[in-house]
Amino acid sequence: MQIPVVRNVLEANDKMAAEVRRELASRGILALNLISSPGAGKTTLLERTLRDLGGEFRMAVIEGDLQTDNDARRVSATGAQAVQINTEGGCHLNSNLVLSAMEQLDLAGLDILFIENVGNLVCPVEFDCGEDAKVAILSVAEGDDKPEKYPLLFNLAKAMLLNKVDLLPHVDFDTARARAHATRLNRDLAVFEVSARDGSGMEAWYDWLRRMRETKRAQR
Amino acid sequence: MHEMSVAMSLLELAEETAAAQGCTRLMRVRVEYGALAGIMPEALELCFEALTRGTAHEGAALELVCLPLRLRCVFCGTVFGGEGQEARFTPCPGCGEVAGHVVEQGKELLLREVEAS
Repeated sequence: MQIPVVRNVLEANDKMAAEVRRELASRGILALNLISSPGAGKTTLLERTLRDLGGEFRMAVIEGDLQTDNDARRVSATGAQAVQINTEGGCHLNSNLVLSAMEQLDLAGLDILFIENVGNLVCPVEFDCGEDAKVAILSVAEGDDKPEKYPLLFNLAKAMLLNKVDLLPHVDFDTARARAHATRLNRDLAVFEVSARDGSGMEAWYDWLRRMRETKRAQR
Repeated sequence: MHEMSVAMSLLELAEETAAAQGCTRLMRVRVEYGALAGIMPEALELCFEALTRGTAHEGAALELVCLPLRLRCVFCGTVFGGEGQEARFTPCPGCGEVAGHVVEQGKELLLREVEAS
């Protein structure tokens, strides 16, 4: 029997993502999906953000990694709630994993939920986790042609952080080039040059978080 | 890399579609994917085959049809095509704008037909 049909193959993921989005919207929680290569500094960025804004916002983190709960332990040390998801080899987080991680969090009074995706610039981009925005993190220890090589992420992200700018004197990374390519892919992309290690440039990122948070709250 | 997740979702959806018609064995599954859907056909075929091997669906054919990219310029409204990831950032043939093209077709990943018994 031939059965014609039109169904989105990822509809199960999209449905769960819609559920995540509904739950977060009803509580006015801003959710950000942090995507980068392994080692770009997502966890360090979170540690500093959680420490610096801890008095201002209630924040929680869903940590995605193939193995270990090292990152969840690192971010918990800041006082924020953290749940670790181990994908056991899976290269990205799915919305159902995020949904079950949310069940382990106390969402009451939460302002911002960070989803630290598995370090990978390809697969996480394809799977909606119910976030308000994807945030791309690129470190200056990588190639400045990453936006050219992985255009989809930079096209879909609302913000890009160029991290580890304290290393700029020692590397050949051309920030103007990375910026130019990324903004060519996405004219509305907000770009922040930061060092999560020494704290430089972080205030502009925090202001963006405050604005996003305000917008989300106003929509409730 | 994410093709295994896609193949698992696809198989589940195809089984569900077949079951709704009282069928239990998949023979052919047709999928349309957009040029920007991030699908490597060879990888998806491999995953689909691995998942069906040793099941009632062993030997089921996976037919993959690529939907070409169709872009619309947000500034002048010209609709145009192209190939590859870079195509969406090529200058609009109407006004030369390079950014902000809307993808009218190219991101789809759709199950379109199931042949089952």
